[in-house]
Amino acid sequence: MHPGPAGAHSIVDRFLYEISRYSSTLLLLMVFTVETGVVIFVIRDLRAADSEVQTMYVRSVIGLRGIGGLQYDAQETRRATLYALTTNDSNLQVEYADQSRDADRRVTNGINEYLARARTDSEIEVGKRLQSDWVAYLKVRDEVLASILEGSIKEAVDYDLQGGVPSFDRVRQDLEEIKRQYDEQASRQLADVDESSRRSAGRLVGVLCFTLLFASVSIWAIQRARMLSALKLAKLQMDFVASVSHELRTPLAVISASAQNIADGVVQEKDQLTRYGNVIRNHTRQLTELVNQILLFASTREGRTHYVMRPMSIEQLVESVMHNTREVVREAGFTVDLLIEPDLPPILGDISALSQCLQNLVGNAIKYGGKSGRISLRAFLHKSDVPLSDEIRIAVEDHGIGIDTSDLPHIFDPFYRSPAVAAAQIHGTGLGLPLAKNIAEAMGGKITVVTKLGVGSVFTLHLPALKKGTLQTETVRPDLLTRQ
Amino acid sequence: MVRRPLFLIIALVLVLLADGSAQKTVRASADVQNSVAADESLAIVVNQENTVENLAMKDLRSIFMGERSHWPNGRRITLVMMEPGQVERKAILRDIYRMNEADFSRHFLQGLFTGEVFVSPKTLASPVGVRKFIFNVPGAIGYVRASDVDSTIKVVRIDGRLPDDKDYQLRLQPHNGTK
Repeated sequence: MHPGPAGAHSIVDRFLYEISRYSSTLLLLMVFTVETGVVIFVIRDLRAADSEVQTMYVRSVIGLRGIGGLQYDAQETRRATLYALTTNDSNLQVEYADQSRDADRRVTNGINEYLARARTDSEIEVGKRLQSDWVAYLKVRDEVLASILEGSIKEAVDYDLQGGVPSFDRVRQDLEEIKRQYDEQASRQLADVDESSRRSAGRLVGVLCFTLLFASVSIWAIQRARMLSALKLAKLQMDFVASVSHELRTPLAVISASAQNIADGVVQEKDQLTRYGNVIRNHTRQLTELVNQILLFASTREGRTHYVMRPMSIEQLVESVMHNTREVVREAGFTVDLLIEPDLPPILGDISALSQCLQNLVGNAIKYGGKSGRISLRAFLHKSDVPLSDEIRIAVEDHGIGIDTSDLPHIFDPFYRSPAVAAAQIHGTGLGLPLAKNIAEAMGGKITVVTKLGVGSVFTLHLPALKKGTLQTETVRPDLLTRQ
Repeated sequence: MVRRPLFLIIALVLVLLADGSAQKTVRASADVQNSVAADESLAIVVNQENTVENLAMKDLRSIFMGERSHWPNGRRITLVMMEPGQVERKAILRDIYRMNEADFSRHFLQGLFTGEVFVSPKTLASPVGVRKFIFNVPGAIGYVRASDVDSTIKVVRIDGRLPDDKDYQLRLQPHNGTK
C-alpha cells in the first residue's frame, strides 16, 4: 500500500508519508525555529562582543584616564608642598599646604577606587604597594610642610631630598607599572575580542550552512512526501476504479446473462422467471446503491448537499435504518439486536442522511461481521457535565474480523481499503465510512470506533441531543452548520 | 533778605544734630557687639599630636614670651599670633604678655638678637589660618576664640581650666570689664 523500496528507505517513506499532510506547517515551524535560533545566536554573540568591548573600555580606557588623574594629583601634592618653600608669608604657606592636602586626598581616594576595581593578583599587589608608598610619601610630606611652616627651610629641603624624593619616585614607578598593566590588559582584551569575533563569524557560517542543509533536506522531504502522496492517491484511484468496475461488472454480467436467457426463451417456466426476475431486481438494486454512494460522496465532498434539518426521535431514525437494511440483513442471514434506551431526547438532523450514515455502518458490520451472524444496534443517552452537551450515541457492533491498528488511521480516508480486506476478496469502494463521517460531521456529530483484531468492532455515531419537546425545521448547508 | 541766612543756619544746625544722633546709633551698635564678644573666652590651641593637656599660666607666658624652644616630646615650639589690631591679639598682649604692641615687637627683636628668645612668632590673618597652621605643624601653639575651635586642633587647659569653665582667665575682655 505504500510505494517505494522496502527496508530503511520504506521506513523513511512511511515517516514522510505520515508527516506529508502537515509538511508545510511543519517546515514553516522548523524553519522559523531554526531562524529564531540563528537570530538569538547572532544577537547573543553581538551582545557578548559589545559587552567585551565595553568591559575593555571601562577597565582600560577609564582605568588609564584614572591613572593619568592620579599622576597629575600626585604631582600637584608635591608641587604645592614645594611652592610653600617660595614664600615667607605664613598665610600663603598655609594655602599651599591646603592645596597639597586636597590633592593628596584625591590621590588616596583614587588608589582606594583602583584597589576596589582590581581583580587580578598583580593588580592587587601593585595597588597595595602604591598605597603603602603613597602613605610613606605623605609622612615625609607632612614633615616637610611642618618644617616649611615653622620656618626651617633647610630642614624642609633636607627632609625632601632624603625622604621625599625617593618615596615620591617609588609612587611614580608604581603608577607607571599600573599604566603598563592597563596597556597590557587592553592589548590582551583586544586580541580576545578579535578572537571572539572570528569565532562568532565561524559559528555563524556553521549555523547558516546547517540552515541551508536543513532547508534543502526539508524541501527534498516535502517534494518526496508530495510525490508519495500523489502516488498513493493515484494508486487509491486505480484501486477504486478496479473495485468499482468489478462491483459494476459483476451485477451487470448477471443482469445481462439473466436477460439474455429470458430473451432467448431458455427460461419459460413461471418459477424460473420469478427467480430470474429476483436476480435482476437484486443486482439492479445493488448497482443503484453503488452509484448512489459514489454520487452522494461526491456531493458531500463538494459541499453541494442540502440537508433538511428537523427534530426527530431516535425511534424514527432507527426504524428508517432497519427498514432500508432489512433486505441486506435478511440476505446476509444476519440478526440485528436492537437496544434502544427508553425516553431518549430527540435529535436535530436530516433523517435520510443520518439513515444513510447508519446504513453504511450496518452494511459494514454485515460485510465484515464474519460468520457470527449477529450485529447489534444500541442507542443511548450520554450525559455531559457541560450544559447543553448531552449526546445521543448510536453504536453498531459486530463480532467479525476487526481492524488492524495500522489501518485505523486510514479507515475514514476516501478510497482506502485495507490490504487484508482486499486480500479476503471482500468487495467495497472505500467510500462507505468517509461518507458516513461526512454526514455525521454535517449533523454536528462525529463517528468513533473501538476495535480489536479478530474480535469485532463498534462504530458509534455521536449526535447532539435536543431538549425534549423541541420542534423546529430548517434547511442548512453542511459547511454552515456548527456543533451546538 | 535777612530771612535767608537765618534759614541756612537753622538747616545747618539740624543737619549737625541729625549726624550726631546717627553716630551715636552706630556706636551703640558696636557696643552691643563688643558686649556680646566680651563674654567669649580665648582658647589656647595646639596640634592634635601634642601630648600636652594642661599648662600653668606661668608656663604659658614663658612659651609665648619665646623663652622655651621645645615641647617635652622634643618637638620645636612654633608660636602663632594673629595680625596686629585683632581683638584676640589684644587680649593675649593684655593677659599673657602684659605689653602693648611696641613692647611686644621690641621684646622679640631684642630677645632674638641677644639669644634670650628662641622662637619668632608666625603671624596669621584669620582664625581659619591659625587653625590650619596648627593642624600642619606638630609643635605649633596659638589662640583662637572658643567658638572658632574645631576638631582639627586641640584645646589646652590653662591652670586646669577649659574656656567654658567659670574661672577661666583668658577672655576677650578683662574679668572686671563689662561683667
